[in-house]
Amino acid sequence: MRSPPIWRLVPGQRLVHRCHDGECVLFNDLTGDTHLLDESALALLEALRQAPQSAADLAGLDGLPDSDPTLLAELDDLLADLAALSLVDAAAGGQPC
Amino acid sequence: MRPPLPLLLQALRAPGAMARFSEREWDLLLRQALAANLAPTLGLLAEEHGVLAALPARVVRRFAWARTVWERHLLAVDFELGQLRRALGETGLPLILLKGTAYAAAGLPASAGRLFSDIDLLVPKDCLPEVESLLLLHGWAGTHHDEYDQRYYREWMHELPPMQHMRRASVVDVHHAILPETAAMRPDPARLRAAARPIPGRDGFYTLAPCDMVLHSAVHLFSEGEYHHGLRDLFDLHRLLVDFGADPGFWAALPARARELELARPLSYALRYCTRLLGTPVPAAVLEAAAGGAPNPALLALMDALFLRALQPPHPSCADAFDSAARAVLYIRGNWLRMPPLLLSRHLFHKAFLSPKAEPAQ
Amino acid sequence: MLTVAGLGPAALAARLRGPGLRLQTGPFVTCVHSPLAGLAGTLGAMYADYPVLAEGSVADFHVRLSRSTGLRRFVRPQVHFHYDGMAPFQPLPLDQAFPMFEWAMNWCVSSQANSWLLIHAAVVEKGGVAAILPAPPGSGKSTLCAALVNRGWRLLSDELTMVRLGDGNIDPLPRPVSLKNASIGIIRDYAPAAAFTRPVADTVKGTVAHMRASSDSVARAAEAAAPAWIVFPQWQAGAAATLVPVPQARAHMRVAENAFNYSLLGEAGFDAVARLVETARTFDFRYSVLDDAIAVFEQLLAQRA
Repeated sequence: MRSPPIWRLVPGQRLVHRCHDGECVLFNDLTGDTHLLDESALALLEALRQAPQSAADLAGLDGLPDSDPTLLAELDDLLADLAALSLVDAAAGGQPC
Repeated sequence: MRPPLPLLLQALRAPGAMARFSEREWDLLLRQALAANLAPTLGLLAEEHGVLAALPARVVRRFAWARTVWERHLLAVDFELGQLRRALGETGLPLILLKGTAYAAAGLPASAGRLFSDIDLLVPKDCLPEVESLLLLHGWAGTHHDEYDQRYYREWMHELPPMQHMRRASVVDVHHAILPETAAMRPDPARLRAAARPIPGRDGFYTLAPCDMVLHSAVHLFSEGEYHHGLRDLFDLHRLLVDFGADPGFWAALPARARELELARPLSYALRYCTRLLGTPVPAAVLEAAAGGAPNPALLALMDALFLRALQPPHPSCADAFDSAARAVLYIRGNWLRMPPLLLSRHLFHKAFLSPKAEPAQ
Repeated sequence: MLTVAGLGPAALAARLRGPGLRLQTGPFVTCVHSPLAGLAGTLGAMYADYPVLAEGSVADFHVRLSRSTGLRRFVRPQVHFHYDGMAPFQPLPLDQAFPMFEWAMNWCVSSQANSWLLIHAAVVEKGGVAAILPAPPGSGKSTLCAALVNRGWRLLSDELTMVRLGDGNIDPLPRPVSLKNASIGIIRDYAPAAAFTRPVADTVKGTVAHMRASSDSVARAAEAAAPAWIVFPQWQAGAAATLVPVPQARAHMRVAENAFNYSLLGEAGFDAVARLVETARTFDFRYSVLDDAIAVFEQLLAQRA
């Protein structure tokens, strides 16, 4: 049985950003791309900068029940999107595509 | 050769001299440098030799623009290499980088200001199918789908057709040798791979050994068809020789390694034109040993006439009436070295009349 | 200081045909080579006030506009643009030589001048502060810019906004304002005293004409301005002149999308745009009547006092 992936910020990623009114622009200093993100997505990236975590851990940070499947599915989607942008990767367990 | 030496050659031979050029000379020199793709390099040389501040303000600003381009290029190269490692890591293959990619990845002096458009990789021929499918899986797509071009690359040349990433548009050229199997010289790729060196700080990536990097650069320059980058490529050679030449073991090994790889002739040309055009400091004994690889005097005189013109800055100020003729002869010669005559005429005919679309002008 | 007008037509043509005309526009010196008599005449009119530098000074760009050679000289003759041995554009019909010259001048700057963040936008100044008007083609940016500069605003540029990477101020690049199709007639009526080139038909953009930059804007080309507003204009038939604020993060993305060298500049580009959208107020702007649009800009200026 596969253990859930542990996500981490891609090593060297500095999260250069500016936030205003709930929206953020993020400069990915590894790829040179700029992204428009919701503040909560940036908060998630900051959390991963503190320590690699699973989606369940990240859900737990908000004080929400960490076993809520809808929430976890949404988080998985968001993390997959962030991985496609080369902001995060999975350090162990399952492989993002 | 027309005296005096073009300004760009003067500047490359003795970068400190840039402080003494007049405004009028700088106007021309900037144009020569831009035409030869050496503007970022020249700016970095000026900085390295402590003369940047002495140059006209407009020149300093121009070099700053060029430097921005180069620095962005390095960022992109770093990222591409990381992506390649992710794609190809599971093969366990040492990822041997070639040419400009190798210089940049290893932080060699030859990388300063050096721009290039493709990532060049060397892998064993047997591994090509696995490498190709992993690249496809990770978002690189094949190019040159015309059946003839496919055969040109796979059967006759020494590489896969260039693979372009679908999102990033970056290109990887995967080689299995440094010369086509159809060519007269057959430097054994297995020997090249065996001597490859890991790049400190870049896990999984390798360069060729110093002698082999020089020989590859020489063979690439002196058997390629096109010489728009001729001076830049010659300057690569110059910088490699100056850098590696600090180690006496390098000079001792170079002529013998050239013979071992059947590359004595390109080495003789490389040392000859580097010393004559760029004043590269090569020990006399090495020049003598390498001269054994030179062609007979009549052919050498012809090659001098061709190469000394083709290796000048590709700018109208350095051209004379013979230049385009010289370049045309070298283009055909280039293809001749890489493909036997019968295949060559079929190739040129096909390229000119049958390929479905022309390459867009840069 | 020698200007194009000061040279006189004969010397102007001689320089263009021979050693090149070293023309100063904003912070740039372009060495222009061309044997085309028509182009010499238009340059003399449109660039009369611009400084000319001595032969042998360093130029930033070298451009050549010439006719086709061979038979093409006579049958539907064309003009070619060469940038030091390179031909960045396809040739155009000969009567489009001046528009081609303007596009070539824009290309030189937008593809290379990396000590600025270069935004595809018009920019005008009044009271020491600047309004940047980014816009994709068809938004009416040039018409609005042409109107503003004929109602007391100084032209900094109609195509290329140059934001200094160091301090975020805008360096002027005043050059002829390009107008298309219906805008030509509109601005001629709006500014009867303004000088125009003869309209050229059938270009890729339709009919094109250029309006000369005022002597004042050329004389003050070294006077930078601080950015105060970023206004995304959209002409819309019947619309009342209305400003709608754009949220800052979105403004960042939209400015970046309109910048030529944003990606090339990397983090410096990100920082330059971030600073710009922090210091300047950003709006979407709909309008139909030019006078109403001008009034809105005057109001913005008054609000700063």
